[in-house]
Amino acid sequence: MTGEQKRTLALYYCQNVPASGEKERQDLEEKYRKSIRLFPLPCSGRLETVHLLLALEEFADMAYIITCPEGECRYSEGNKRAKKRVGRTRAIIAGIGLEEERIGIIIGSKDNQMSLSDYASIAMENALKLPSSPVHSRP
Amino acid sequence: MITGEQKPIDEIREMISPYKRILVLGCASCVAECAAGGEKEAAMLASTLRIAAKMRKENVLIKEKTLDRQCVRDFIISLDDIIGKYDVVLSLGCGAGVQAVAEIFPEVPIIPALNTGFLGETKDQGYWVESCLGCGDCMLYHFGGICPLARCSKQLLNGPCGGSMDGRCEIDPDVECAWHLIVDRLTKFGALDRLENIYPPKDWSRKQGKGPRKIVREDQ
Ligand code: SF4
Ligand code: SF4
Repeated sequence: MTGEQKRTLALYYCQNVPASGEKERQDLEEKYRKSIRLFPLPCSGRLETVHLLLALEEFADMAYIITCPEGECRYSEGNKRAKKRVGRTRAIIAGIGLEEERIGIIIGSKDNQMSLSDYASIAMENALKLPSSPVHSRP
Repeated sequence: MITGEQKPIDEIREMISPYKRILVLGCASCVAECAAGGEKEAAMLASTLRIAAKMRKENVLIKEKTLDRQCVRDFIISLDDIIGKYDVVLSLGCGAGVQAVAEIFPEVPIIPALNTGFLGETKDQGYWVESCLGCGDCMLYHFGGICPLARCSKQLLNGPCGGSMDGRCEIDPDVECAWHLIVDRLTKFGALDRLENIYPPKDWSRKQGKGPRKIVREDQ
């Protein structure tokens, strides 16, 4: 899962996810080159529907949000809010004929703590299951 | 606050389909409070429409802008510099906002993106409830600050229907019985005797039936 990916992914993530510091971000950017664009957030509750839409509109085949485990949000409701916004965005894109799977959420697990890099791999695997987005005409 | 909800996206796309340069116009007042037509919603709708257009390889220009109030001339005229760039305005204001913009820019079609709803209150995050019908002759004093016209399912003015259970309305148990609330409030303020009056059927002529209502204030 390195080098030339055929999909572009927007990855929003809560900075409380393990190994999500600046160094990890740079390493991931290096690993995925232009295939993943990373957007750290102080809390996944700061994610707005419009962020996901703009990612799909401007460059991404798929947009994902990575949250901390349920019940573990430092700001109490952030990850629940992110989940609702993902649901709303999915409904919006389905309404115009775009696959709702182009918006994804991965909620961290308390028992199986994963790093940002693990999450990025899962998100990219999922992205590759979908065709390129019809929003962007790429060769 | 005036509430509204976005129209189905297919209906919006159908209405704007003849146009190539579209301004999505939000309103930062009531419809922003009810999360239907503010800056955020204007950005979301514009982005959604651009995505839909790109998917279908339609060559359209879609931009967004939000006015502080879409129903006040002083704010609307700020569009003067930019409106010429567009063939149509897709308004996220309430019905009053849409018509106010249309009156000031009669040469541009102004299309509503919202279905305007009711006069209501924000009860909780994402939860709005109707509380006033704008009847033109407010009776809240008599009813302890609870409006039976807006909040009693049968609009009763002379006491409850007798069907409420545990303070809930018999028509919709999700809502509190307005008359239960009225009696509680008047009892609390020692004013239950206000209910000894007989209130005649509401005179709706102060609400509608004579064309648009107007308010004129010489001191303004
Ligand atoms: S147009 Fe006026 S009344 Fe309508 S939502 Fe905006 S501020 Fe409220
Ligand atoms: S009595 Fe009339 S003005 Fe007063 S709250 Fe009810 S509908 Fe609104």
